[in-house]
Amino acid sequence: MEPSDWELVQKCQAGEMSAFQELVSRYHQKVYVVILGLLRNREDALEVSQETFFRAFRKIGGFQGQSSFYTWIYRIAVNLAIDAQRRQKRNPLDFRESMDGLLESHDEVARDPFADVHDRELRENLISAINSLTPEHKAVIVLRTIEGLSYKDIGEILGCSEGTVMSRLHYARKKLQDKLSSFL
Amino acid sequence: MNDCERTQENIGRWFDDELNRAESERIRVHVESCTACRAAQQRMEKIDQALHGVLAAEAAQVEFTSFWRGVERRINERRPWHREWLDRVIGVPRSAWAVPAVIALLLALLSLDSYFPAWRGGVTRSGFAAVNSIDAHGRSVALLRENETKTTVIWLYDDQEGEDETAEEAPKAGPAF
Repeated sequence: MEPSDWELVQKCQAGEMSAFQELVSRYHQKVYVVILGLLRNREDALEVSQETFFRAFRKIGGFQGQSSFYTWIYRIAVNLAIDAQRRQKRNPLDFRESMDGLLESHDEVARDPFADVHDRELRENLISAINSLTPEHKAVIVLRTIEGLSYKDIGEILGCSEGTVMSRLHYARKKLQDKLSSFL
Repeated sequence: MNDCERTQENIGRWFDDELNRAESERIRVHVESCTACRAAQQRMEKIDQALHGVLAAEAAQVEFTSFWRGVERRINERRPWHREWLDRVIGVPRSAWAVPAVIALLLALLSLDSYFPAWRGGVTRSGFAAVNSIDAHGRSVALLRENETKTTVIWLYDDQEGEDETAEEAPKAGPAF
């Protein structure tokens, strides 16, 4: 039987590096995708994801299991990603190039050329629409859509109430729908 | 409030499975029979799918071994003291009032002479300090100039106004509307 996250955390606290490696293996893709959703730049997302686990490693001794490991690690990830995003805003050209790269890689696997054009336009506009959201709105939509987290967990990660999560999601979805109205 | 308005108001929570069973069932029945509400549900689905499609495929490409190497390198790397210090400073949550509060404190310190001439050994000074410009929109600059000592403090900061949240571990985010 697989050990729980909490059991692995306790082993980490006892100095077992392999336990931490197992936690990284469980969550690295999830953390990466959340950060990528916020930053939309592969290299930055990878850097920030690795930094997230590094910070977690340093702080894990103080982790007491009051929240689940995944909300804790997401909280570190979201904080770092939001900081990185603020820095990224100062280099919009680099940012744009990396977004184009993200779109191209998906075109390679597209089949139907008509669907391809429509999908590409939708994705392009989706990316632009998501980028128009604030980091906080972007975070709720990514945590909900990609990770399928509950409002309670999202609230815990972002340090806000469930009501705030709900209103941010409502706002974010409305804004995305308005921006993408011609594709929906 | 009619059934459609009530549904539209809660359709996001229904879509996210955040409603109780009775309300969830009510909305499900309504959506099945209402074209407008069904369209709203489909729009949400489409956005979710598109976003998921773009990001999930990306995640699958992140290979564990190389990822772990990057984490391990960071763990084994001894960071210089100033980097450690910077990480800690950056890690402190910042608030919208922090910048004006620091400016006010600086002004108060600079004007101490006027109120307590003896506080620095009785030397009376006619110092004058002024905040020259503050732009509160987006990336902002505050310029504090004190003529007596020819001190200029240039403060670059991101606007921190946002929703009213006071949770302890709120992300250190600046709103970027």
